[in-house]
Parts: sequence; structure tokens; C-alpha cells
Amino acid sequence: MAHMMRNLKVQPNSTSLEEARKRTFDFFRMACRSIPSIMDIYNLQDVVAPSELRSSVAAQIRKNSHVSNPKVIDMLLFKAMEELKDIVDHSKQRHHIIGQYVVGNKGQVQDLGTKDEGNSEFLKNFYTTNYF
Amino acid sequence: MGLGSIASRALRSNTLRPGHTNLLRRSIVTTTELRNAEAAQAQPETPPPDLPPRTPVAGARVHFPNPEDAIEVFVDGYPVKIPKGMTVLQACEIAGVDIPRFCYHSRLSIAGNCRMCLVEVEKSPKPVASCAMPALPGMKIKTDTPLAKKAREGVMEFLLMNHPLDCPICDQGGECDLQDQSMAFGSDRGRFTETKRSVVDKNLGPLVKTVMTRCIQCTRCVRFATEIAGVQDLGMLGRGSGEEIGTYVEKLMTSELSGNVIDICPVGALTSKPFAFKARNWELKGTESIDVTDAVGSNIRIDSRGPEVMRVVPRLNEDINEEWISDKTRFFYDGLKRQRLNDPMIRGPDGRFKAVSWRDALAVVAEVIHQVKADEIVGVAGKLSDAESMMALKDFLNKMGSNNVLCEGNGPNPNADLRSGYIMNTSISGLENADVFLLVGTQPRVEAAMVNARIRKTVRATQAKVGYVGPATDLNYDHEHLGTGPQTLSEIAKGSHPFSSTLMNAKNPCIIVGAGIFERDDKDAIFSVVEAIAERAKAVRPDWNGMNVLLLNAAQAAALDLGLVPESDKGIESSKFIYLMGADDVNLEKIPEDAFVVYQGHHGDRSVYRANVILPASAFSEKEGTYVNTEGCAQTTVPAVPTVGDARDDWKIVRALSEVAGVILPYDSLSAIRSRMKTVAPNLVNVDEREPATFSYSLKPESQQKISTTPFKAAVENFYMTDPITRASKVMAQCSALLSKK
Ligand code: SF4
Ligand code: FES
Repeated sequence: MAHMMRNLKVQPNSTSLEEARKRTFDFFRMACRSIPSIMDIYNLQDVVAPSELRSSVAAQIRKNSHVSNPKVIDMLLFKAMEELKDIVDHSKQRHHIIGQYVVGNKGQVQDLGTKDEGNSEFLKNFYTTNYF
Repeated sequence: MGLGSIASRALRSNTLRPGHTNLLRRSIVTTTELRNAEAAQAQPETPPPDLPPRTPVAGARVHFPNPEDAIEVFVDGYPVKIPKGMTVLQACEIAGVDIPRFCYHSRLSIAGNCRMCLVEVEKSPKPVASCAMPALPGMKIKTDTPLAKKAREGVMEFLLMNHPLDCPICDQGGECDLQDQSMAFGSDRGRFTETKRSVVDKNLGPLVKTVMTRCIQCTRCVRFATEIAGVQDLGMLGRGSGEEIGTYVEKLMTSELSGNVIDICPVGALTSKPFAFKARNWELKGTESIDVTDAVGSNIRIDSRGPEVMRVVPRLNEDINEEWISDKTRFFYDGLKRQRLNDPMIRGPDGRFKAVSWRDALAVVAEVIHQVKADEIVGVAGKLSDAESMMALKDFLNKMGSNNVLCEGNGPNPNADLRSGYIMNTSISGLENADVFLLVGTQPRVEAAMVNARIRKTVRATQAKVGYVGPATDLNYDHEHLGTGPQTLSEIAKGSHPFSSTLMNAKNPCIIVGAGIFERDDKDAIFSVVEAIAERAKAVRPDWNGMNVLLLNAAQAAALDLGLVPESDKGIESSKFIYLMGADDVNLEKIPEDAFVVYQGHHGDRSVYRANVILPASAFSEKEGTYVNTEGCAQTTVPAVPTVGDARDDWKIVRALSEVAGVILPYDSLSAIRSRMKTVAPNLVNVDEREPATFSYSLKPESQQKISTTPFKAAVENFYMTDPITRASKVMAQCSALLSKK
């Protein structure tokens, strides 16, 4: 994958939403194809399965599903490509990957549901960790 | 012996050395004054400059049994007062001089065969082995003279002659006496160029790894096995350079204390087999904690690396375990890594467990507990529960309206009112003052190995007599097997048994009742017979309390202190909701089909098969908990490693559940729950102090029970597997396959 990405240029803007959509899928495919080598580079075999990484990528894309301006989509895709290149080039380290894509979604997003309201501080702490 | 003190002494003496003449000459002996010891000695003695006050080595204290017997000796010109009969080495220790040694060990007999402890004594023609030489009044001992140093260098050279150079692959490396002392006292080169001898390794079983080529024939292990462990398995074979340590016949070492030879072996000849090549000792973090595998509460140090417990070693506590621990304590730690529960789980309709969040698990339990009647709720605390969690469980179930909280092993109707009725009143170290023992239905060797070692020590030192009532067993000291059942006790109480006169004539009789009796229906009757015996033998007096109960599990004493007593003895059979807090030895058959079982614990052991909800808890190595040992001494564990997965501390789980169930418990922190414990049982917060019981038997109501004729049963079937952690341990499984007596 690295050789494919090495020669990337900034493409001209997408002319339509259709085209932006197609580019998004192309990006997703590229990301999926680089997952095995990412697993290798960062030694992720025992922390995560390829499928989990795939759904992590998909989740990142879905996070922006409300964007409908092709220019904005292009910009986001550019940033995504940059990130992917950094990862494939080993410009990052293992804990970056683990922190962002393996525990990221679960570990960093706070559950701010209403169900804990009225609970004591103890119980709220209890649900998150043993060490308080 | 601390390397620091040795090294600093070596350095100090180096600065005295005038060695400038032979800097470039590569001679064998490097110090000039050593080559000419006599001449150096003949130099006029300069009066010692004012001596700095010295502190005894390792806080050694002198106890003068008889003030007239004090004698004065001079160590390096420094006068010390010591009691008569001490050795020169001990005198030096009190004077603050650490003498290098290999074979001498303060708890073993003196062998005097390594010669490392040579010192100079004025008017003696040769250096003397200080460990074997009694100190005489006015003796002038010199530990720092060229002659003494030369002698040590020579001994070191001989020892290293046949010692392999495998420190880089040796598990003892870094905590090896030979390594330390050769750095401090050895010469920097040897003169022996012949090949080293090699010795065949011996198979001592699954616990002790041997590399016999490394052995320096100090015979500490042999003396330990015969004197302390009481097995005649190890011995010295051959003579001269053919001398070897081994078992006389091809045989495993079958002692419950065998692991201690690893600690006392000064070199890497005997090392721990499960720990072999796992870690280096300098990368380990030590945490001072308490053992929970039996009721003795041995003091241990848990050595961990990252999140993993790497090994367990003993800590010195003269009142409890001296410096030994049993094999179970030392080697069961691999069970902490296997079969652990790490997520809350609920059993689905298909009978399989599904991992859920804490929120969901607690909600389910809280919902169910409100649907059953208050008197159908039962709580059972397990063998390894700490006092905090038992307090929380009892408070929680009481708030739910149930008073059925019991602790495993305490039997259907324990006596929790009189503290003297369930602890060891004599105290473990007090056993040494007893002169006659009567063991009732207890096999201390498997129930509490350290208590057994104390009894053995007493029997060896004072020829105390031991009478034993119970199933045939193998005690490693002389004993008289009096009978197997309670009738023998009645005979002793009536005075018609020959042993009763021995008991009557004893100065300090000591009666030890096993906690296995708690499970018997005629428990009260047996206790009143035993009390009658104690009465006749005058075992309970103001100055001596010889009436003891030897408990089996770490949780028992604290549970009784906190009053974990079931309301009715049919609790479990008629229950609809059972809360098992680490309880894996309850009879699962007794639990009704339709009961809802919550299992809170750290291992997927027996009870998990019956549980409807699993709440993962932390093990003793991961939490701070109070445990009371069989003599009533409260001690706390300290977390050494982080908890596994999503587990929580036991008391926190109960506290959280109480909130979800709407009966919130009023404590949020460890200190808050401890102050709650203090109101129930103040002795539980007096950590590290033995709290003797105040009342004695005379206050107890008469029992109306009849003793049955059923003989006593063994309380512990398999020494190596008694609780969820040891049952999960591979090493313990190997031990019970190879070593348990069939
Ligand atoms: S095996 Fe160890 S303890 Fe035993 S004699 Fe050899 S060096 Fe001493
Ligand atoms: S310690 Fe004295 S001879 Fe070994």
C-alpha cells in the first residue's frame, strides 16, 4: 500500500456528491487493504482483530455521515489519507494506534446517559474503575 | 546479610592499605600485608581511637536470662556484654560486626564446616571459626586483622574452586551469599586451573530445583530438613571431594516445609522450580502482605513484576511464622493467574454465561433480592474473605431483613459469643512454653503447617509429650495416638485413661482442638468434655491459658469476631436467594433448585457452576483487607498487583449493590468501613497486635448435648488444595499428585 500512497497528489475537487462518495469508498478500501500490514508493523495481533480495526475505520467515517458538502468531504478524505499514510509509514508508535483505534471508541467516549443520575459519587466511580 | 554493610566494610579496610608498591605486578595475593601477615601483626598495636557507637547487626537484641551470667568480651577493641554461652559470632553481631558466614544459621544447629567465619582471637595460635566457638570472658576478638582477611580470602578461594561460573544463568544471582561475600571478602583471582568437579542434579520433586554442582556443602539444607521439617530425606553422601548433598535413595522430598531450603541455601544449588528463569530478583517489586491459605496468617512478601505475581517469600515474624512458610503459601501463587473471573456475568435462559456490564448485573441482583422473602435470603462468606467484605455483607443482608449470614467452615451453630472459645489462647509463640500437648481432632501438619513447626520445635527442645486423638495421621514428632473418637476424650476427662495422669502432672498443659469439630453435630458436647479435661489439668489459669482452637481458614476468626452466625441451621436448604461471597466449599446439593445464586469471587471454581450471576472480585493479592489469624492477631494484606479485568474489591461490590437495591450502606471508603468494624469488633483494627480473649470458659452455659461415637474425621484431605486459588494452581496440582500421602 505504501507504494500506492507514496505518489499521492492532491486531487482536484470532486465535482459532485456522487464522486465524493466514490472517493470515500475508495479510501475505505485502501484502509482495509493496509490493515494486515498495520497489524504487522505495530504488532497488534494479540490486542485486536482485523475486523475490529475495520469497524473502527468505518466508525470514524460514519462519525461524519452528516457532511454533505463535497468540498468538506474532500478535505476530510485528505486528512484521513494523511493519517493513513502516517500509520503505514510507521510514523506513529504502537500506543498511538492502540489508544486511538483499539481502546479509543470505548475508552475515551464518556457515557453521559441519564441512567446514573441520582446515584452517589461512590456508585458512579464504582462503575468506571476499581481504583478510587 | 546485607551486601551494603559488607561492601562498606571492605571499602573501609581498603583505604588503610598502603598498596602502592605492587600496582603493576600481577601477583596472586594482592595485598602486601596479607603476604606477610605475621609481620603485620607484630607491629605495635596502636590504641584504638575513640570508637563510634555501633549498632547491632539487623537489630540483634540480647536477652539476659540471668544477670550474673553476663560476660564481657572485646570485639575489635570495643567492649560488649553478652550472656554466657553465646558464640563468638553472636558476640560480634551484638557488637555490630557482621561476620561472613555460609553454614551458620541462627535457627539451625551449628555445623562449623564452611570456615568462612574465621576471626582472630588473641592468644589463640590459629584463626577460629567464630560460629562454633563459645565466647569466654575477656576474650579479645579481632575481625578486621590481616590474618582474618587472609583466612577469608583463602576460604573463598577454596569454595570458588569447585563452584561453577554460571551466575548469569543462576536464579540466585543478585541475592546470593556466595556472590556478595566473594565481592566483599574474596580475592580477585584464583590459583586453581584444574577442571571443576561436577555433581549430578537430584530430583527433589516439583518445588525445589537442584543444580548440585553449585553446592558448597554447607549442610544448611540437611540440618533444616532433619531439625525443622522433621523429615530425614536429605543427607550428605561421600567424602572429601566426592561429597554430595542428596536423598539417600531415589526419593522426593516430602515435607510441607520443603520450600524453605530455597531461602536458606546460600548459593543457587537449591532454587524454586516454578520460579526458575522467570525473573531476576532485582526487577521485582516486593509488597509486604499476609498469607491467606490457612488460618496462621504467615507474613509474606509478594514479589511482583508489572501485573504478575512472580513469587512469594516469607517475612520474619517471630510470633507467627518465624522465618519459614509452608509450601502451599510459597507456591500457590500461580493459581492467581488461572481461572480468573474478569467480567460480571449473567446466566442466560440457555444456561450459558453472558458478559454484561456492572450496571446490568447489579440491577438484576437487586431486582431479584426484592422479590424474595427476607428470611429466604442467605449470605455465605468464603474461606478467603476479608473482614471488610464480611462486615459489608452482614450489614447489607441485615438491612434487607435477613439475619442468615454465615462463614464457611464455622459450622451450623458456631459459638461467637466467647472469643476464648474460638481462638488459640496460648498464642503460637506461647506454644513453646507448653510441656504436654493434647491434639483433639486436628492434624496440625496439614491444617496449619507453621503451628505444627512450633509444636515440633517445642517437642525437640523440651521433650514435651504429645497426645493425639483423631484418625491415624503422620505427625513429624513423637506422639502417642490415644484414640480416634470422642470416647477417648471422656476417658481422659474421667481420669481412666493413662494419658490423663501425664496431663495432670504437666506444668503448662496445652489442649488444641481442631476446627473440623465445628461441623459435628455434637460439637458443644465435645467442647464441654474438653473443658472438663482442661479443668482437671488446670490448663486455664491466670498465668497460663492452654485451651486452644486451631482454625482452618483465614476468614474464620474475623467472621466470628464480627458475629457472622446464621439464625437457623436450615438456612441454605430453605433459601430462595443465596449470596456466595467467595464460598466454594458449601454443599451445592443443599441449595434448592429454584434458588437464585449470586457468586461473588475471583476464581471460576465449584460454585460458579451453580451461580446465576457472577460478580468478579479481587483476590487477596490485589486488595487491602483485614484478616485475623487463629491466635487472634489482626493483620492486613496490601495490594501487590492490579485487579484482573473488570473486577472490584469485595466490599465495594456489596456497597454498590446495596445502593442499587435501595438500602444504601453508610460507608464509602476503606477507613469508613473500618470504623464501622471498630464498633462491632475493636480488635479488628488493632493491626499486627494479638488481642487475647478476656473471658474464659466458666461463663459458658452447660450444654445438654450427648457426645456421639463417630470418630473424628480429617478436616483437610489434601494439604495442597484447600481453597479456590490453590485448586486453580498447576503447581499445587502437581504436588498433590506426587507428594500427598495416599
Ligand atoms: S544445597 Fe545449598 S544449603 Fe544444601 S549444602 Fe549445598 S549449598 Fe548448603
Ligand atoms: S559459618 Fe562458621 S564455619 Fe561456617
